Amino acid sequence: MGIIGNLDDPRLPYDYSNREKGTVPPDEKRARFQWASEVAYKNVHSIVTRGYDTTELVEQGYGVCDIIFIDFQARIPLEEELKMLNYCMIMALEDGLSSPANMARIVAGSKTILTQAAGASILAFGHAFGAYDAFGKMLNKGLALVEDGKTMAEAAKIIAKENIGQPHLGVSELMLKDPAAGRMIARVEKLGLVEKYIPLMKEVIKAVQELSDEPVDIDMLGAMGSAMFDIGFSPEATWAILAVTRAFAAGCHFMEEMECEPPVRLGEQLTPRELYIGPEDKPVPSLKERDTTVHSGQFATPEDWKKGFDAKQKMRGTGWAIVEDIADPRKMQ
Amino acid sequence: MSREPLFRRKTAISYKTEEKTVLRGFDLSDMAEEGYTFCDALFVLYQGRIPTENEAKMLNYETGEFLEHSMSPSAASAFAVISGRPNLPAAVAAAVMTFGSAHGPGAAHGYMMHKYIERARVEEKSLEEIGKVLVDEYMDAGLAVMGLGQPQHLDGDPRAEPTHLKHEELLGTDNVYIKLQRSIENYFNARRKKEGRSYVAVNMIGAGNTALCELGFSPNAAWCIGCVCRGWSCAAHALYNMKKGRAWAASKREPMVQMLDLSMIKYLGPDDREVPSLSERQEYAKKQKEEGEYKKWAL
Repeated sequence: MGIIGNLDDPRLPYDYSNREKGTVPPDEKRARFQWASEVAYKNVHSIVTRGYDTTELVEQGYGVCDIIFIDFQARIPLEEELKMLNYCMIMALEDGLSSPANMARIVAGSKTILTQAAGASILAFGHAFGAYDAFGKMLNKGLALVEDGKTMAEAAKIIAKENIGQPHLGVSELMLKDPAAGRMIARVEKLGLVEKYIPLMKEVIKAVQELSDEPVDIDMLGAMGSAMFDIGFSPEATWAILAVTRAFAAGCHFMEEMECEPPVRLGEQLTPRELYIGPEDKPVPSLKERDTTVHSGQFATPEDWKKGFDAKQKMRGTGWAIVEDIADPRKMQ
Repeated sequence: MSREPLFRRKTAISYKTEEKTVLRGFDLSDMAEEGYTFCDALFVLYQGRIPTENEAKMLNYETGEFLEHSMSPSAASAFAVISGRPNLPAAVAAAVMTFGSAHGPGAAHGYMMHKYIERARVEEKSLEEIGKVLVDEYMDAGLAVMGLGQPQHLDGDPRAEPTHLKHEELLGTDNVYIKLQRSIENYFNARRKKEGRSYVAVNMIGAGNTALCELGFSPNAAWCIGCVCRGWSCAAHALYNMKKGRAWAASKREPMVQMLDLSMIKYLGPDDREVPSLSERQEYAKKQKEEGEYKKWAL
């Protein structure tokens, strides 16, 4: 067989015409692959998480929330901590027709199975809705400033200034009339579980209130997040635990949708012309006309690229208007 | 800022105003303040009622027991997904979505029980009798009887029989689901013994889902509880990998061969073959289609 395409190009890193075929033999020099885990193991007769046999745990009277502590923190919680986790999980369970419920209902509309809907609901948790990861990292940055010598109030002012207006701030206008977030913080205090997150959060509230023109207060993200962190859960663990908690109710929304609403078929849903704000209708050029009617998307100079970039940002749904910042390596040394 | 819901649906589950969130009539914050547990709230969510203490204890036991199962298909999914380092919820969602007709098929087991309990009623049979009918019908058809056997716990799932015992201790022995399930287990193994086959113990679907059914959860609600509950431990596994493992799962620098090391690949497909040129394509493709060997590999 001759050379195919560019496969004899000298710039290629090796000779493509003489590449070895077949799979790679087993690696005998290193230990064989195993599912390595610090979390749990099982054998034919037992399941063990963080050293505790799960059957012995439940026979002793420990329950689901205890085992969440054990799985994530490798310890049995204090009774007060257990109470607080139950409290948080009740509050995280249901939130009406919010994003996770909507995700589950959309999936239900395709007449699929429950686990797809429950899983889909978890995907609703990001850096705006249920932003426990981003929120926790923000507070951790504040605590690092405190470790470096700033007071809580000074650290709070810095992170409030950096994050004001962000959906992961935990302070907003969302719960000015709903006492639930404030009650949650009061419960952490009553149970004697306050560590460092709630004190910092209280300073953040004050700092944001000073910066904001509108009335704001702690919201459910701020209360639940700082409560969960003060009972020892990391931001990532909190994110996952509460997303899964919400999925129980998403399952309920899935079932109600299946019970009460008709399925949605491909092609059934229309998008009315009046909702469309894109380019005007225009004729499709023939293939013959293609070369004379289309233009390329490449740019030879940064200046031209910038002009194209700005133009493309104006077309909705292309992704060009989403500008994400990535860490500057010069600041990471 | 609009606080209108995306969907305008009539819902009997909950409502949320600027003042409160209400689940099946109960203010969630009041429930938490009163000291109800998460398991109590699950009863309110799925059944619109506060459970008895024993019911709440049984759910706490069942979910506690089911939460962690080390490496099962769901945890393997979490590991695989997080190895690409997406956001953590993607790995957790994948883990929950792994549950299907083989891994944790709780809804199917529940529907099977409902069907045969109804038949017992209509055909005026006892639950013991209908259990035998169920076993014979499934086995005669060459179908697996749901709720029995576990591929890793060959002598019986360590969680299952204790769950049955706790079920009987907390909820009693004289209820429809436990009676039917016990009957299924008895007749299934009696028939296997007669056929010279080995004993197969109840698994966590047989035991756990029976308890959830007895607690009043619908087949899908019970399934949801089981599968979503596992999401927590899968999240812990994913998080462990994220914080202490190596992304991509193929590094040569790890002392142990990794999950996606090239040497882990075993290929069983067609032998290596030359790519035809595009000018040869039509003739090549026609011949290939006529010879039909490809059908051996087509999926």
